[in-house]
Amino acid sequence: MRKYQGIIFAYREEPELRELTANRTAASLPFCGRYRLIDFPLSSLRNAGVLDVGVIMQRDYQSLLDHIGSGKAWDMSRRSGGLRMLPPFGLPQYHNGNYNGTMEALNAVGSYLRDSSAENVILMLGSVAANIDLAAAIQKYEESDADALAICMDHDPMGVHHRFNVGPDGYVNGLNLYRRGAGDGLPSLEAYIFRKDILLELMDYCRANNHYLFHRDAITLFLSRGGKMTVYVHEGYANSIRSVEEYYQVSRDMLKAENRRQMFPVGRPVRAKTHEDVSTYYGETARSVNSLVGDKCIIEGDVENCIIFSGVHVAPGAKLRDCIIMKGCDVGEGAELSCVIADKACKFSPASVLIGSPKLPTVVPKGTEI
Amino acid sequence: MKKSCIAMLLAGGQGSRLYALTQNVAKPSVPFGGKYRIIDFPLSNCANSGIDTVGVLTQYRPLQLNSYIGNGQPWDLDSSDGGVFILPPYLGAGEKGSWFTGTANAIYQNIGFIENYDPENVLILSGDHIYKMDYAKMLKEHLEKDAACTIAVLQVSLEEATRFGIMNVGENGYVCEFEEKPKHPKSDLASMGIYIFNWKKLKQYLEADAADPNSSNDFGKNIIPAMLNAGEKLWPYRFDGYWRDVGTITSLWDANMDMLSTTLINLYDPSWPIGARSPVCPPHYAGEHAQIIHSIITEGCEIDGHVENSVLSPEVVVEEGAKVLYSVLMPGAVVKKDAVVEYAIVGENTVIEPRAHVGAAPDGTDGWGVATCGPNITIRQGAVVPAAAMIYTGEEV
Repeated sequence: MRKYQGIIFAYREEPELRELTANRTAASLPFCGRYRLIDFPLSSLRNAGVLDVGVIMQRDYQSLLDHIGSGKAWDMSRRSGGLRMLPPFGLPQYHNGNYNGTMEALNAVGSYLRDSSAENVILMLGSVAANIDLAAAIQKYEESDADALAICMDHDPMGVHHRFNVGPDGYVNGLNLYRRGAGDGLPSLEAYIFRKDILLELMDYCRANNHYLFHRDAITLFLSRGGKMTVYVHEGYANSIRSVEEYYQVSRDMLKAENRRQMFPVGRPVRAKTHEDVSTYYGETARSVNSLVGDKCIIEGDVENCIIFSGVHVAPGAKLRDCIIMKGCDVGEGAELSCVIADKACKFSPASVLIGSPKLPTVVPKGTEI
Repeated sequence: MKKSCIAMLLAGGQGSRLYALTQNVAKPSVPFGGKYRIIDFPLSNCANSGIDTVGVLTQYRPLQLNSYIGNGQPWDLDSSDGGVFILPPYLGAGEKGSWFTGTANAIYQNIGFIENYDPENVLILSGDHIYKMDYAKMLKEHLEKDAACTIAVLQVSLEEATRFGIMNVGENGYVCEFEEKPKHPKSDLASMGIYIFNWKKLKQYLEADAADPNSSNDFGKNIIPAMLNAGEKLWPYRFDGYWRDVGTITSLWDANMDMLSTTLINLYDPSWPIGARSPVCPPHYAGEHAQIIHSIITEGCEIDGHVENSVLSPEVVVEEGAKVLYSVLMPGAVVKKDAVVEYAIVGENTVIEPRAHVGAAPDGTDGWGVATCGPNITIRQGAVVPAAAMIYTGEEV
């Protein structure tokens, strides 16, 4: 019998991600040259031995389904249990419209949670760039007599977040909602471990009272009832991605060796679907400096401070600066791109010029020809 | 389940002419061309040709090969009514132990496996060639010509012909004579070591061959000549694409260098993918000081030095100030600060420490050759490994 099951919230549509989430959810956003954001929570769960995982989806999940497939890349294609994709067919009232919040999403997949014999549930967001050591978090949870554990960050994140005050006994004694910048307590990474019976009770209460927010409603209730919640601090890189600016910043953070070391630590590999079996070829005229480049590319131009996904062709004389170029793009001869995020399969004709600014990178939607 | 054609892949060869590179692994699992191992080519060719059942005959140091092939999933060979099967030599009740005594004997010992699939034809492949080939076309010709055996042949120059098994062809187009490494070749059609046999016929000849104590149980030396003598129809299937035997250090290095040219063999062709089981690594990182010219770089590499005319496998590190020229670096190789690697093959996880110098540019002398370091070696700071050197695992340099 497995003691833990995982839930990944992959339904969120972040409006500030604009064109990048036109046809996908934030969780399936391509990231760091070869990954999707959801690879990180899936790998964290896999690396901690949690193989029964439900992925809650709602709309625009085609790209997520394509990417995750049977869950084989994370060893979650199991005869019993394993990966379960959870589209919105749980309850009639959720057929239309969006989930109003996490508790509503959880209630929609209540039967999945109840059917599993796992005693504890790990809840994670699909769109956080972090390689969390869940095995260590589980150990902390089991060594305490808490009914819940909140995973927090060791640094203040970029955007709005919640913070937990922790008492001298190591248990949470307060929740500060919707903070920005530094402040009291520890910033939440929005990853939790819950005893399942308690989580189910909170879900029932929220449904009966028309409450739907996880932090404002469920956690507040849990704490006000004297629920014991301990904290595990994730040391290392972590940032959630909710806007184009955050996506650009977090992507470029991966160019720093120290951040890569924290995101891809030895012993906790980030697993993903393998699709390219060809290396990248650099031509006679190529130049590539401070850049991450995926496989199956042909680089003949000049690339600096860029993240290049697989299958990209950069023709001779093309000049790329501070760009994120996704899978299958084609950059023509002499084209000049600066501070551009090009979604999949864009074509830049020879000598085309596109310049964004570091604060406001130009997003080129999927399949655009310029 | 009846099959039109299944493949038997001979992967048991020691590859003794690759020396340090095959000290602990079989030749087919030697890394090649960035993401691949040699065996990826015949396995992918099978999958792309619609052959879904492949028996892989292993013998020499098969551990790594077995785990590499696994369930065949990277080549889409994990099918429910076929798949890829590792076939080691085995012992029957009351038999004396015996290794495969030759290529034909390896197939003979696995007649039982082949009969499970009741195939019309059997394709015999070897695990040490780099090429892309549609076996379905060869099978079609084999059936059209009603041949007992069809042999894939490549046109070579007459000088080269002395190194190959040569097919002499009669007026009707069928093979009339086979000569192994002839001094004075009469034809320029070299056998590529790829055969399609009518299974009923092959089984007869294998059984007769096994009963002959003087036979060396080899396809080229025994089975093919026996079939010719008996007047069977042998058809030469002419292949004109890229094909390289990578049985020696020089040919392995040459073929790796060929990968730098997409005109010789195009690995980017989506209609003929070559699959590989490769680790998932982050994209490769080119650092502030990186200079990468006319080279192949793979996932997980960290390059901060100068790389030119080279082929780098996954997770290779080239530190600042290091130079890698005309070389093949296998997975996990590390070239530290200010070290130089030129005209060399560096094995898996071998570390070239700072200021060491491996290999040398050709100087026109007969003694020159590609320098080779086997896997898991440390070449000490400032050490010099000369051209044509062969460093084995366990040696101290």
